[in-house]
Amino acid sequence: METNADHTPSSTPSKAATSDVNGTAERAFIPLTGADCFLRAFDAEIQRNGRANHVSQLVLRLGPGFDVELLRKLVEQVAHAQPIVRAPIRKRFGVAEPVFRISDAHRAPLPRFDVVDLDGPPPADDELPDALIRPINARMDVRRGELLRFDAIRYAGGAAGTDLAASWVHMLLDGSGSETFMAWLDACYRGESSPEQLPCPTEFDPPERSDLTMQQRGDAAQSWQKWLSGFAAAPPHSLAGPLRRDPQSLRYQLLTLSPEQTRVAVERAKERAGFMTPMLFYLAATIRAHAAVFRARGVDPGSFVVPLPVNLRPRGAAKAMFRTHVSLVWFQALVDQTRDLDELIAHLKEQRLAAIKAGHVENAVHAMEFARFAPKRLYTHMARRDFKGELCSFFFAFTGDFMKGVDTFLGAEILNGFHVAPVPPSPGSCIAMSLRGDRLNATHVYQQSAVSDPEREILREQLLRDLLG
Amino acid sequence: MPPLALEDLTKRLFEILRDEILSVGEDFLPQSNLIDAGLDSLGVTQLMLSIEEYTGVWIDESLLTPENLESAESLAALVHAQQEP
Repeated sequence: METNADHTPSSTPSKAATSDVNGTAERAFIPLTGADCFLRAFDAEIQRNGRANHVSQLVLRLGPGFDVELLRKLVEQVAHAQPIVRAPIRKRFGVAEPVFRISDAHRAPLPRFDVVDLDGPPPADDELPDALIRPINARMDVRRGELLRFDAIRYAGGAAGTDLAASWVHMLLDGSGSETFMAWLDACYRGESSPEQLPCPTEFDPPERSDLTMQQRGDAAQSWQKWLSGFAAAPPHSLAGPLRRDPQSLRYQLLTLSPEQTRVAVERAKERAGFMTPMLFYLAATIRAHAAVFRARGVDPGSFVVPLPVNLRPRGAAKAMFRTHVSLVWFQALVDQTRDLDELIAHLKEQRLAAIKAGHVENAVHAMEFARFAPKRLYTHMARRDFKGELCSFFFAFTGDFMKGVDTFLGAEILNGFHVAPVPPSPGSCIAMSLRGDRLNATHVYQQSAVSDPEREILREQLLRDLLG
Repeated sequence: MPPLALEDLTKRLFEILRDEILSVGEDFLPQSNLIDAGLDSLGVTQLMLSIEEYTGVWIDESLLTPENLESAESLAALVHAQQEP
């Protein structure tokens, strides 16, 4: 994820938000952000074929000494103090706007906690157990407030370590928010915060309203839509293919570079893409990794169309954890532009600058605001119409330093940590990258029947070639 | 566009950073580290666009090193050096 801490958001303030206290208990409802409403389209896309939701995950690989029961009790306290974590997401009565129904949260179940005990030491990063992966295919009934769950895999009863997965529907937290959430839980454990005290004092205050007129907002949203439609001249293909009807069956594989490999990759990213925009190096490498699979298949990918999330928290609310605060910058690369890594990076740089100059970061926010009152699947319908059935080529995110400055979680050492970003059955492939300490993690999330084992190996090898040179 | 004095550039860049790009308190100074103050990839691009608008100078991304982004003062020195004489 391209990071940006302090830019103007646009969100409808809650008319019931009469209190400026941090806690949510005094509010009847909290509106979803425009980005949340946009993400409902993806949730609906996955639900269309049943059995699953658009679920993200943050995984911590912990050393010995982690107390699962301690976390369970802490999360229960948080669920009572901050009811948004189990608030049913529904439309307001008589109004099309979807909200977190805070007043109904007390009737919702507490966040689910599953513990699996396995013998022996924890497996290597690239051999994670199924119990860790399974929750991303979980059905979470958002209308009943099932928004968050935890799954712990204890090795030798926890004496050899624990893998902890926090999984949530993407409307409750985004990637940056999930790191803040986990760091805050640890701060509560250490007595530096409390379940009642959120780290961002403006967490639920209505942000500044845009001074644009409704007509200007409409024009901005249209401009964004027109920009995306321009990519349709060379429509993309995904590895899963268009309009996949299979029920979701996602898996993921973690690629963790050694400290020395990470040093090389980070240096290459800075040299080739610049000190402030290393994500373009990682994006280019990821595009070329997917291109390698298409070449092996003998299939023309059309072009590569990929959205890059941009962290867009309100000014002064960099630590706002709940709800989604992102915009999207879209990139398109033609097949010829993917043949040379440096040329591809130069092309992506030009596209990024042009998009920012044209105001498409802000335009996307306005477009997503219109999703607030639109049918859930309007966006995916429009994208599929323009892109001959596809949504995009694949998903990508680079979130920089993972839980920077947090070395332990509830007393146990954090040995590694990474994000798992969700992807609908089509495009069926997503790579989420982040840096944990001196190691680069790349999580490849894929639709099981869409990418074969040999193809994943091709993708992995090409990615490593570009990362390491 | 005539070259601007270093002092004027520093003052203007500091104001843009403080009022438009970053979310900082009164302890933010022209000498404050910009990365520590929360300057990120989108913010720096928006800053470059503001600088171009104000001075007519486009700062190539390859010049955005940690040293040049050390503070509003160091960034202003970079922009000053890039101006046509």
